Amino acid sequence: MDEKLRNTLKVQRAIRDLTQADLALLAGVTRRSVNAIETGRMVPSVLLALKLARALSVSIETIFSLESLDGADTRQGQP
Amino acid sequence: MVSPTEDRSEVLVRFHRRSLAGLMVITLVLGALGLALALSPPGAVRQPSNLLWWLLPLVIAAFSRLLTSMGGHHIDPQSPEMKAAIQDEWRRNNMLRAARAALIVVLVGQWPLGLSLGFLTSPQLTPVRVASAMAAATIMLGIVTTITFFLYLDRE
Repeated sequence: MDEKLRNTLKVQRAIRDLTQADLALLAGVTRRSVNAIETGRMVPSVLLALKLARALSVSIETIFSLESLDGADTRQGQP
Repeated sequence: MVSPTEDRSEVLVRFHRRSLAGLMVITLVLGALGLALALSPPGAVRQPSNLLWWLLPLVIAAFSRLLTSMGGHHIDPQSPEMKAAIQDEWRRNNMLRAARAALIVVLVGQWPLGLSLGFLTSPQLTPVRVASAMAAATIMLGIVTTITFFLYLDRE
């Protein structure tokens, strides 16, 4: 089954009223990385995903999830 | 709100892009000079241009100084914003992709480069000179292609 990575980075950032630059500073990356992840141009490494989750004080699954190409959410532990 | 530290990180990235563009221009100039030296017949052109090689260390030193200074401020390689810019995953991925693409271009380019140098150069040139020209052209092609691909992939 074909799957793609979906992320809610933009939503999580908006909830905390953070700019891409703010989040980049918190996670120790450049704003371009944050922008590339948000727009789906880049799949981050586990290390970077964990850094982003830590910067936003959420679990990694809150930000990233797998989505099958037919639209179903295939997050582990989710109904 | 954007803090001065964030601004600095973004400035560093932009400065790095400009430095790469500068490096590409220097590579083109030095590559053209190398090709001219290798392909020119012994004589009037070769002797004065040999003097230019003495300028090479000066050019490299000046460029290094330019890289480590920005607007009169020294860049600290240990600073968090510098580390973020250097270790940034997106930029490193792009550099790897650019290097892979450049390797393919260089490998594929050997055939037309060899043919063009073989057919277009004077038959009086020694094989060593033609091989030197081939090496200069290959190095120039590799560096220029890597930088071009990186700047393209790293754009916003």
